[in-house]
Parts: sequence; structure tokens; C-alpha cells
Amino acid sequence: MLSLLIFLPLIAAIIILILPNRLQNQFKYIALGVSLIQFILSLFIYFTFNSSALYAGINKESQFQLVEKLSWIRLDLGNMGMLEIDYFLGIDGLSMPFLILSALVTIVATLASWEIKTKLKAYFSLFLLLNIAVIGVFCALDFFLFYIFYELMLLPLYFLIGIWGGIKREYAAIKFFLYTLFGSVFMLLVIIGLYFSVSDPLTGHHTFNMILMMDPANYADGSIFSAVANLNLFGMPARLLAFIVLFIAFAIKVPIVPLHTWLPDAHVESPTPVSIILAGLLLKVGGYGIMRICYSIFPEAAIQSAWWLGLIGVISILYGAFNALAQTDLKRLIAYSSVSHMGFVLLGIASSTTEGISGAMLQMISHGALSAMLFFLVGIIYERVHDREIASFSGLAEIMPQFSAFVMIAFFASLGLPGFSAFMAEAFSLIGAFNSEQVNGLLPRWMAVLGSLGILLGAAYFLWTLQRMFFGQTYLKGGDDWRLKLKDLNLREKIALVPLVILTLALGIFPSLLFDKMNASILAFVQLISS
Amino acid sequence: MKEFESLISSSINDTLASLSFFESEGILIAGFLLIILSDLFLSKKYPQLSFTLAFAIVSLVFVYSFSLLTIQPKMLFGGMIVLDHLAVLFKILFGLVSLIFILFIRLNKSLQQHDKGTGDLYAILIAVHLGMNLMAMSTNLLMLFLAIEMVSLGSYLMVGYISKDQKQSEASLKYVLFGSVASAIMLYGISLLYGFTGSLYLTDLAFISGLKNLSPMVLSLSLSLVFVGIAFKLSAVPLHFWAPDVYQGAPNPVTAFLSTGPKIAGFAILIKFILLLQVIQIPSSLIYTVLASLAIASMLLGNFAALWQNNSKRMLAYSSIGHTGFMFMALFVAPGQDYKALIFYLFIYILMNMAAFLILDEIEERSAKQNINEYGGLGKHFVVLMPSFVIVLVSLTGLPPTAGFTAKFLVFSVALDAFNTSGSAIILIMIIIAAISTLISLFYYFKIPLYAYLKDSADFEIKVTFSAKTYLSAFLAFLLLLLIVFPSLIEQFL
Repeated sequence: MLSLLIFLPLIAAIIILILPNRLQNQFKYIALGVSLIQFILSLFIYFTFNSSALYAGINKESQFQLVEKLSWIRLDLGNMGMLEIDYFLGIDGLSMPFLILSALVTIVATLASWEIKTKLKAYFSLFLLLNIAVIGVFCALDFFLFYIFYELMLLPLYFLIGIWGGIKREYAAIKFFLYTLFGSVFMLLVIIGLYFSVSDPLTGHHTFNMILMMDPANYADGSIFSAVANLNLFGMPARLLAFIVLFIAFAIKVPIVPLHTWLPDAHVESPTPVSIILAGLLLKVGGYGIMRICYSIFPEAAIQSAWWLGLIGVISILYGAFNALAQTDLKRLIAYSSVSHMGFVLLGIASSTTEGISGAMLQMISHGALSAMLFFLVGIIYERVHDREIASFSGLAEIMPQFSAFVMIAFFASLGLPGFSAFMAEAFSLIGAFNSEQVNGLLPRWMAVLGSLGILLGAAYFLWTLQRMFFGQTYLKGGDDWRLKLKDLNLREKIALVPLVILTLALGIFPSLLFDKMNASILAFVQLISS
Repeated sequence: MKEFESLISSSINDTLASLSFFESEGILIAGFLLIILSDLFLSKKYPQLSFTLAFAIVSLVFVYSFSLLTIQPKMLFGGMIVLDHLAVLFKILFGLVSLIFILFIRLNKSLQQHDKGTGDLYAILIAVHLGMNLMAMSTNLLMLFLAIEMVSLGSYLMVGYISKDQKQSEASLKYVLFGSVASAIMLYGISLLYGFTGSLYLTDLAFISGLKNLSPMVLSLSLSLVFVGIAFKLSAVPLHFWAPDVYQGAPNPVTAFLSTGPKIAGFAILIKFILLLQVIQIPSSLIYTVLASLAIASMLLGNFAALWQNNSKRMLAYSSIGHTGFMFMALFVAPGQDYKALIFYLFIYILMNMAAFLILDEIEERSAKQNINEYGGLGKHFVVLMPSFVIVLVSLTGLPPTAGFTAKFLVFSVALDAFNTSGSAIILIMIIIAAISTLISLFYYFKIPLYAYLKDSADFEIKVTFSAKTYLSAFLAFLLLLLIVFPSLIEQFL
């Protein structure tokens, strides 16, 4: 089932590669068809997902659902032992929500791909490859396999930004690539170190199985990352160092301040569908990685660093929001608002409370949908007049009423209006951060207070933008020419936007749709890290 | 005189018994003569006869080597050479290099159209192949030197095979001069070792005990002299300086060959000396320190220098210096262990490097472009070749989803294991530098797709037909993708 979900796009990509170029206008329908099938599959997974505590997953292999485990690479390395790499997939409450989000965001991104007009064969092949990698990351439970999918995301993105991007696309593409690779090269070293430290209790071989890495009993005595041995590297406990390395690798993806500078560039230069995938899914890979890997494998190092993580979260929230206030380019504004919103994720995770982590998860799903929506909306206006300076527009509400309505929904949802998912998510993250002092004493209260300031700032920059661009006297920099070009939404655009609105409303009104499914896993997760 | 009679018969018996394990080399010797003769008398009538012969001979030797994989170590010719599993693995690698090289020569226009014809080149290749096989097998210092010289002489000839312009003549002259000096220094080192121990056999007890009794100063001096010759073959820092010029000046197929064949043979010898050092109980921390500093120097210099290159061949030359440094990390195995990671890496390296040069060559032939900044818009024209190139470059960087990642991963594992057991700081530094140099290598490798795909250029017309070279390189790129999913295709032989 999960393999089908992952490798369905591969089949489509091969079909697209084989088909002759004169059919290139049909490629988008193939891609759309695949993402629709994926969406149906993921809905099926959602409804059949067993949310009882017996299937919580996290650190118990038997509790994962839809498990697929095949032995993949067995390389005898002399007395270094047998290299044991499995093709190991499975989901629990932490990963399941992302499958639905991936499928949904991919549909929206595919619909946004209608605006791509050149080199369609290459575009859709790369796009589908990216899709494989993203879903693969959320399903992989073998660290080696995870790493392969994780790295596989980079290549298609490099080309997608680099070929179909804006003016400074080359710079943005390589900057993005280098930032991420910087993190992941060192992550590879930690992976190998973990591999030598952990052995499978059944076979006695070293293993890449992530779940086995979460059990301290599986670490060999005196190995680098054994909690008992507590070795030092560069004058720092090895496990803490490994946690920091992994955290930086994922934090670059999230992104956190000060490792965020690739994000505005990548977003501004990307074509709309790539921005959607980038904000909607790739940032979530960072958050997911921090929970699934950093926290689960090195819980004590995570608790030790919680104060710093919380601080980074708060700084991201505020710094992102202040930057968003200062932007003149609408897409850049949204990019910085992403930094701010992802800060709540980090704050929620750092609190290590059930509320905080539930909030962080909900925030990731909610932001996935909302940022996809926001970037889609910016793409619409940019596609029509090739301008997205805030100052170039005024009084758009009169010319494009439907468009303005969707923008208003997206803005109000993002700034945390009750009734929308972001409100729930940010509220839970902040409650978690607030309670943390009392529950586990990790985060001081002022972090939660400063974090809530971010919501205020969010309201400021969203409302101010709304006022500048959509209300008031109608003014367009391009004059009447623009007025003709700025047509209201067409059917395709509405089809893409409506499901996102539904999702954010549904999660805002009935957050239990998500909470029920992942509650058992989150409880198990909190127990794992606080024990 | 009488007392030697018994010795004569026994040594004849030994030689005769050894011959049956010397079949591949026998075939190569016969093939060498056959190609020269056929080129002399039949080349007018059948211009491609030498190619067919060379290809058949090398394929035969290549396939035959697989049957020797399970062999028990055997001393041959009175201990001059030894045939063991590792030597056979190296012989298989050489066979692969030669096979691709032969195809490359056949498909390269400038070699094919040269007045001289390619017959001699095939003959030289067979001789060099023989030399490399002997390098992998010899356990006698004299034999070793002869084998190295055999490879070197052949390489000199190859580099200067079609010296059209000054640059190529300069390259070949440079190679000959530097090469001879390196050989002479190595020979001096060997003579010192012989003088101190009275034996030339690496496994001889007299040799080993002689070395043990040497003062460390003298020992390290004579070993470093020997190492100069090996490092020259490896193009490792500090004996790398010839590589960029020679690689750039030599014909493309020859560059592809030089950056793989002799380099791999150099590793075969290096392993012998490392084993020797372990036998004479030099503390492994000392060996590790020396190796690690060389690896660090090669990785840093190779990768940083490659950053500034614009000529694509020169860029690959520097990157191959970086790869040498990286391969050094695979040597950090405890005594008595296999060199599986190294062999795996070398195998993948052959595929990647050969494919990279094949593609460069094809681009150069079709569009006359040698500099990376002229590659603009080539992605549009080479619809199969350029994607293959991207795969190869991704593999050279060592990223998934290519076998280059698996190879890199194995080498990292070996090095981290060495750090784990020894705890020496320099190994950790080396590993971190290797990780950083991966990052640097991304910069320069990706300059090629950057220009080919991301930058547009003024329109120009290139007639691109699907050539055999395109198919061959696409096949090699496909292998790189296949081998990450099924590494056992190689692993079963290790």
C-alpha cells in the first residue's frame, strides 16, 4: 500500500518520459490523475487508520501500521559486521497526517502547474520524482532509506527552481542545494555512527532501523552514541553533539532563524507550483524529522536543549514576523510569514507537552494547507501581470471580487482567526509552551508570551497588506492594460482553492478530526521523550 | 656446480606449475604479439582487426578472471608474484577499465582519423594491462618496479600518441620527465631497502626482520622514497602536480584511462606496503596519521583547485585528485581485513569516471566545446547525453539515487569504524573534511548542469545524432542507478 503510494508517480514519470513530445499538453492530466489517485489512497489510509493506543507506533515496531519490510542490502564488511539495510516502511500517528497533506498539496501544485509552458516533459518528470521523495520520507523507517529519500528531494528541486524559476534562479537554486546538503552531509556521518552503535537484538547485526535506535538497550557498550558510555567528542557529549548535528540538518529545512536565508530567495525565484511544494511539504519534512529522529533517538539531549530550541522558536516567530512587515514583495512577505509560522512548530515541540506537540503537528498540517493557498494566490496575480509588488496594486477587491474573497479567507485563517485551523494550532502550541514551566519545567513562561506577540504581528502584516492591496481607490501600476489582464478566478483555480479552504475550516472547527487519529502516538511520543 | 642440479629441476617444476595460474597474463602476452603482427600485415585489408582482437582478448581475460575469484593464495614463480583474492579483484577491475577504454578508442574520432591508425594503441594497452596485472600480483620489489615501469612506458606513449599541437607535446613530455624522476626515486628507495635487508621479497622473513632492525629514520626515508613512485601513480598530493596538465593535454580516451587504470594499480601496491608496515609492527596509529594527512591534503587541494577550473577536463582531473584522497579513507582497515569498501568504490569510480570522459568527449566532438561556461543551452540539444551526464555527476558527488552514494557511504563507514576503534583525532578531522569536500564538489560538478540547463545561450545549431558513445554512456549511467538498488550485483564477488 505505502509502496504503491510512493512509487505510483514513478510509473507516471516513466510514461511521461516515453510519450512523444507532441502529446506534451496531456502530461499535466497524467500528473493530476496520479495525485488524485494518491489522494484517494491517502483518504483510505486515513479512514482505516487504527488510532487505538495499541497502534501508537513511535518506538514499538509492532505497533506501526501498513508495515512493509524487505531486506535490501546485506553487505558483509568483515569484522565491522554485516551491513543490514532494510526496505522498511510504516506509518503511525506522526506520519499519517502528512500523507494526506502531501497528496492534497500535490494536487494543488499540479493544478498550479498549468501555468508552466516550457519543457513540459522534463518539468513533470522532475515534479513526479519530487513527489516520490516527499512521500517516501514520511513513510521510511529505515534511516538509510530515509536518507535516500531525503536527498532525493534536492535534485528535482534544484532543477525545478533552476530551470523554471525567476531572474536570480541559478543563485537561489544552488543556495538552497548547498544549505540543505551542508546539513545532510553531517547527518550522514551521524547515521553511520548510529549504525555502528546499534545492533538488531534478533540478528545481532548492526542496523539502520530507526525504531531500534530509539531503544537504549540496543546500543553496544562503549559505542560512540551509547547513552551509558557517554563518550565525549570535541569536549561535548557525543549524543548531544549528534542531536545538534541532526537538529541543524532538519532545522535548515524548517527553517529556523538564522538558517533561513535560503528560503526567501528560493521562494521568490521558484515558479508557483514549486513554491507550493516547498512551503506546503518540504518545510514539514524538517519538523517531522525533528520529531521522528532528533527527539525520538536522542530524547535526553533533546530535553537538555529544550530551552534553546524554544528560544530559537520564539526568535523565528518574531524575526519572521518583523521581516514580513518590512517586505514590499508579496511573495517575500508570505515567505517570511512561513518562517514565523514554523517557529510555532518549534516552540510546540520544545515544550515537550502533549498540548504543545499536538499543536505543532496541527500547525504543520494547517500551515501546509494555508501556505499552499497563499502561494497559489500570489501565483495567480503574478501569472496575469508579472508583478507582485504590494505597492503596484490597490483596490483589487473591486476588480477581482472572488480572488479577493479567497485572499481574505487565507489571510484571516493565517493570522489566527478563531474557526480556522491556524488558530487552533497556534493556541495549542502556546498553551503547551505556557504549561511547560509547570509540567516539566523546560520552557519559561515568557517564551509563550513573546510567541503570542507573533500572532499580533501576524495580524498587523496581513491586515496592512489587505488594506494596501485590496481596499481603497483602485490603482494599478500598469493602468488599463492590467485591468484587462486581471481577470477573476477561473474554474481550475477555484477547484484548487476550495479543498484547501475546506481543510482549514474543518480542522479549525473540528480539530478532533486530526487529534483523534494522532493522540495515541503523541502520548507515546511524550512518554518516550520525558521518560 | 653439482649441488645446484636438484635446484634446477625443482625451479623448473615450480615454473611449470606456476604457468597454469598465469594463463590470463599468457593470453595478454600472446595477444600483444598477435595485435602487433596483425597490425603490420593485415591492417590495410581489415582496418578494425586490431580493435576486434583487443576487445576479444581483454574480454577473455576479464571473464576468465571471475573463475579465479575463489582461489587460495598461491605463490608463483618462486615467490615473485602471488595470486590471491585481492589480486584477482584488481585484475577484474583492470579488465573493466581496459574494456571500456577499447570501446572508447574505437568511438573517438580524433584517434580514429589520425594517420597513425589505432593498431599500436591497442597493442600498447594490452601491454599496459599486463603491467597492471603484474603490479597487483607482484611481491618482489624488482618485479614490482618492472611492472610499474611497464605501465609507465605504455602510458607515456599513450599520452603522446597523437600530439597534434604544442599543448599535447608538452603534456607528454611533462609526463615522461616527471614519471622518470619518480621512478628513479622509487628505484633508489628499493635499492636502499635491498641494501639494508639483502632481500627483495616483501614476504620474505629476512626482509621483514631486516626492516624491523632498521632505525626508524632510515626506514622512513627509504619507504618514503618508494612511496614517491606510488603516489605519482595515484596522483596523490604532493605528487599530483603533473595530473592536470597531462589530463588536459592527452587524448580524451587516454585521460579516462590514466585517471582510472594506473591509479587503481597504484592502490594495489599501496595496499601491499600497508600490509608490510603492519607486519613489521609499525604502530597503526602512525600509519593512520600519515595516511590521513595525505588524504586530507589530497581532498582539500583536489576539491578547492577544481572549483576554479573552467576547462571540463581539467576540472575532472582535479576532482580525481580529490577522489584519490577520498579513497585513502577506505584503507583504514584493521590488519587482516578485506578491502571491500575500497574495491566497491573503485568499481563505481571506474563507471563514473569513464562515463564522464565519454560524455565530455562526445560533447567536444559534436559541439567543439571544452569549457564549462560554453555549455549554455546544451541540455536542449543532447537530450539523452546531458541527463546521463547529470546522473554521472550526481554519482561523482556521492548523492542518492546513484551508486556513488553507496560507495561513499561504505568508505565513510570504514573510516568511522577506524575512528571508533582507534579514537585518533586526525581520523575524525579527515572524516569531517571529507564531508566538507563533498559539499565543495557539489559546487563544481553542478556547474555543468547549471550551464547546460539553467543558462540559455545564443542559439546555435548542433546536429545531434544518437551515437554509440551516447548509448554507452547512457548505459553506464543506468548502471549507476541500478547499482544503488542492487548493490549485491557487485558485492557477491567481493
